[in-house]
This record gives sequence, structure tokens and C-alpha cells, in this order.
Amino acid sequence: MTGAIVTMENVTKLYEQGKIEVRAVDNLTLTIQKGDFAALCGPSGSGKTTVLNLMGGLDLPTEGTIHIEQQNLSELSRSQISNMRRDRIGFVFQSYNLIPVMTAYENAEFVLKLQGVPEKQCHERVMNILAEVGLQGLEHRRPDELSGGQQQRVAIARAIVTRPAIVLADEPTANVDSVTADALLDLMQELNRVERTTFLFSTHDQRVMDRARRLIRLRDGRLEQDEVRA
Amino acid sequence: MPDVKIFSFALRNVLRNRHRSLVTVLAMAFAGIIMIVFAALMDGFLDATERHAVIMNTGDVQIHAPGYMNDPDLYTYVDNTYELLSLLEKNGFYASPRLYGFALAAAGKSSAGVKLRGISINRENTVTEISRHVMLGAWLESGDTRGVVIGKKLARTLGVKVGDEIVIVGQASDGSMANDLYRVKGILKTVGDEIDQAGFFMLDTAFRELMVFPKGVHEIAIMRSNRDTDLELAKQRIEEIAGDYEIKDWQDLQPVIARILDLADAQKVIMILITYVAVATVILNAVLMSVFERIHEFGVMKALGVGPWFLVRLIFTELFIMIFAASIVALACGWFIAYRLELNGIDLSSIATGASFGGVAIDPVWPAKVTPGALFLPVLFLILIGFLAAVYPAVKAAVIQPVRAIYYR
Ligand SMILES: Nc1ncnc2c1ncn2[C@@H]1O[C@H](COP(=O)(O)OP(=O)(O)OP(=O)(O)O)[C@@H](O)[C@H]1O
Ligand SMILES: [Mg+2]
Repeated sequence: MTGAIVTMENVTKLYEQGKIEVRAVDNLTLTIQKGDFAALCGPSGSGKTTVLNLMGGLDLPTEGTIHIEQQNLSELSRSQISNMRRDRIGFVFQSYNLIPVMTAYENAEFVLKLQGVPEKQCHERVMNILAEVGLQGLEHRRPDELSGGQQQRVAIARAIVTRPAIVLADEPTANVDSVTADALLDLMQELNRVERTTFLFSTHDQRVMDRARRLIRLRDGRLEQDEVRA
Repeated sequence: MPDVKIFSFALRNVLRNRHRSLVTVLAMAFAGIIMIVFAALMDGFLDATERHAVIMNTGDVQIHAPGYMNDPDLYTYVDNTYELLSLLEKNGFYASPRLYGFALAAAGKSSAGVKLRGISINRENTVTEISRHVMLGAWLESGDTRGVVIGKKLARTLGVKVGDEIVIVGQASDGSMANDLYRVKGILKTVGDEIDQAGFFMLDTAFRELMVFPKGVHEIAIMRSNRDTDLELAKQRIEEIAGDYEIKDWQDLQPVIARILDLADAQKVIMILITYVAVATVILNAVLMSVFERIHEFGVMKALGVGPWFLVRLIFTELFIMIFAASIVALACGWFIAYRLELNGIDLSSIATGASFGGVAIDPVWPAKVTPGALFLPVLFLILIGFLAAVYPAVKAAVIQPVRAIYYR
């Protein structure tokens, strides 16, 4: 089954930098389909992070409309957007994703608890997901007792444990070595294949781009190329 | 957000920066201890002042004939004394009948106006502790109708020592001249201005003989047998017993002291508030720092769908944990120190003897008194001030915009 998860129509995002106005995103129209495993790429400052933030409802567009699963973001209140993020979107940031005083298990469990999922169900799902991302036996380690790659695995586990409509990952592999990056990509690819989880990540890394099934290239906030590979 | 265990999360956050949390807790505890000890000393002082006012002279309640308070006339007296006394005693009160008259005292070349105070020593002992407040010589003795005990300043004015003679000249109730010679048996310590300057204590039998005053008394001073019972109730009971007379409690009789005691709570609160302003800045600083260094973390949490209230609750819970720890320390140490000071007061005898306050003498040993108010008022205000100080940082965290917070460096 395919279908639009996120659509952006003629979206523009302006930032004031002192007196200069920066067009971080410039009249961009883009749709992410269910099951996509897509990479956003482009030079530094091309607007990748801004696009991800807009799609996740972390930031509001200056112009244009964004729909997440047919819901127009501009028609939702702050707390509705917040709940939308909690229930439908998974985030993975570049670094320091995790709550430092919580164990891997508790970090992965956090959003489920926010959703009010009962304890038993929580436990089952968290243990399964942690096993799936290869962290069996490390459930009770805190972030500072985990390697950078392991921390990103926890972040991915946390992003997918709620079975979101889409996982938005901003340079998830930027702070890990290439072997770890490969492993993280294997993991996301596997989740995409098995669970049909939709992924959109930004990257600078050519090898990461090579593994994406859809490559969205930005330049100066505009779409330069949108290529779907076999 | 029902299911995230905020308390355990907050506790871990508090333990995360142990040093800062410890310093914050200690600062709060220290202020709490100081305030508990201060409040206990203040309560001790007020309690001693009240006790002095009551125990040296006034008693809890006094009975006078109507009009005597305004115009203390020899002929305005309480009539059915013995009936009243036995009724009062049956109702669990101690009562002491007193006789008052004015006269001129002379010794050598000096003279002074005095207030003659005829007392029944056994009964007076049940109501006041004046007999134990003799500085030189001894207290009155039954049978010794010539012996008198006088105030400290009066002794100085008249230039008399224990054993010296004093001549009293006045007008007796039958219009004749009251005139007799007495011997100073004792001189009192500081009691209060009135007694110090003009107090002339004598046996009631001696008074009746001198003033030709065979029956009635001018005043009945009453003390509750248990001072922890309610004064207002006691007064009502006495009004039922002696309704024809003027009944006044010590607060009516010593309005200055009563007012000072009334204001004391307000003073305490003001002192506590002033001291706590300093603590509030420490708390504010600590909480602000802990919020600012977690901006990124809060941003991530918000991106995950945490609402503003969650963060407000988190920050307040963290602070609550610290205040709770500080309160325990403050209560334990504050109680310990205050309790020691209750057992052994601060001895001020080297710097202040015979001081008086509002016309009431104060002891040179300053005792503390551990009251529930002295213990819990400082803690209550600590909690209050702490939460006030956390409002700004908590709001700050609550309104963080996730995008800015996540990319905040
Ligand atoms: N909060 C902001 N305030 C002002 N300007 C901003 C802000 N965020 C982004 N910009 C500007 O918008 C443009 C796009 O930034 P963005 O972070 O989206 O780029 P990016 O493609 O993610 O770059 P990078 O590869 O370096 O992460 C840049 O010119 C940037 O300076
Ligand atoms: Mg970026």
C-alpha cells in the first residue's frame, strides 16, 4: 500500500539573520510516501534540517501548507502538534538524543509511557525493539555507558517503538565511524523492509546516499533532484 | 502524561549534579537552621516575658470592685472575699487577696511616695513567684508584722539597706493618721517599674492594723492551676463566679506586653522573609543553571511530545526533593540546637543584669523555647520561597521551542 505520509506544498521558510533574510526553504513542494526510504542531501545550508523540522512540526512554515497524514498542521494547536509528534513521528537527531539519567530501556520506553501504554505491553515492545536493534543485554546501561553507535541505536529504537508513520532522522550517522554507520543503515533498511517503517534522513555521506531508495537533492532551499531508484 | 515516573526521574536529575545539589541543599538547610534557632529564641524570650509579666505580679486574671481600676480608692473594695476565694479554689484556681494603699515613706532625710501592698503570704505564693525574687535579705514571714520588703529603686531612693527602719505616714480608712515604723526585711530584684519604684510589701494583718481596714480586699489575683488551659475560658468561668466585679485578664492589664506578643509573629515572619531572600537567590541561581544546561535535553523531550506542564512539574519536583532534604536537615539540626538552648539558655548576665522590657523585668539567662511554630514556620517559608524562586526557570523551560533548544549550543 502506498499513500502520502507527509506533503509539503509551496513551502517557504524565512529566517532573519540580523538584517538579512535567509530563505532556508524556498517554495518547496515534496511528498513522502508510505514505505519510503529516502535521503535528503545537498550542500551545507541547503535547508535539509529545516525541511525535517517543518515536516515534524517542530517549526512552522512562513508560507505554504504541510499535511501529516491528511492533517493540516496550520490548523492544529500547539498541544495537538505536540501530541501528533508523540504519536505519529519518530525523531533521531545527530547527537545527544538520549536522556542522560535514563537507561537504554527507559529511554526507549519514554514515549510509550507518555502515550500511557500499559506497563506489560510497554515492556514487551521495548524488549523486542531493543533486541531488534541489537542491544540485548545492554538495556540497563545509561547513555554514558554506551558507544556513540549504541546510543544512536537506542535513539532509533525509541523512534520506532511507537510504530510512527514516519521516522525523521537528521544526519543520524554523522557522529559515528563508517562501520557503525553501515550497521545503523542496515538496521534502518531492515526496519523499513520488515516493518514498512517510513524513513526520511538527511545526510552528507555519499555511501549513505547510495543506499537510499529515493534521493532528494536540495540546493538553496529548492528541490534540485528527486530520484527514485529501483 | 500519567505514566512517566516523574519522581524517580527528578531524583536522578538532582543526583546528577551532586555538588550543586548538595551546595543548594546545604544553603537552604543552613538558613532553615538559623531561622529555627532564631524563632525558638524569640519564642523563648516572649514566653519568658509573658511569664514574668504574669508570674511576678499580675497573675492570669484579676478581680476588682467596680471603679477601682480607674480610681484606686481605699474604700472601693471587694467585699465577700472569703466566699469568693473558696469558690475560686473549688473551681481549680489559685487566688491571692491583696490590699493596696498609698502613703509616704521616710528614712533618714529621704522620703518617697509608696504603694503599700498588704498580702497573705501563703496565698500569694500560690499565685506569683515574687517571694523568690528577693535580691537582698529575705521575703516576708508570717508573724513578723514589722518586716517589709521593698522595690530596688525605692531602696536606693530612700537610701536604706536590709535591717534599716522606714517610717510610714498616711491616712487610715477612719480618717485618722496612719503612722508606724517598719524594718526592711528584704529588697527585691528588678520586677517591673511600678514595684521597683514604689513597691512596699507587708503582711495583710499589718496593713489592716495600719490603715484601720478590717474587712474586704482591693484585688484578688488569680492563677490557673494549669497554665496550658485556655485563658479566655478561665476568664469566663471567673465571670460566672464573680460577675458583680470587674474581671480583667493579664492582657487587659498589661496591654503593652500583650501587644508586643501579638506583633511578635509578624516580626518573626518578616525576619524569616528577609533572611530567605538570600536563600531565594541561591535557589534561583541553581535552578536556572540546571535548566540552562539541559536546554538541549528539554528540546529533545519536547520533540518527543512532552508538554510544557511535564517540564514544569519535573523542575518543581526536583526542587521539592532538595527542599525536602534541606527541611529534614534544618529540622533535625535546628531542633537539636534550639532544644539545647531551651535546657540551657544563653547567659547574658555579664552584659545585662536587671534589664526590663515594656515595664517587665527580663531574666539575664535567655532561654529558647521549641514550639511547633518555631520549628515549622521556617520550613513552611522555605518551601514557599523555594517554589517562588523556581517559577521563572520552570516557565523558561516550559516555553522552550524545541527547534531552538535542540540546536542550542
Ligand atoms: N534558527 C535559524 N535562524 C537563522 N537562520 C537559520 C536558522 N536555522 C537555519 N538557518 C539558515 O537557514 C539555512 C538552511 O539551514 P539548514 O540548517 O536547514 O541547512 P542544512 O542543509 O541542514 O545544513 P547542514 O548540512 O550544515 O546541516 C542556512 O542558511 C542557515 O544559516
Ligand atoms: Mg543540518
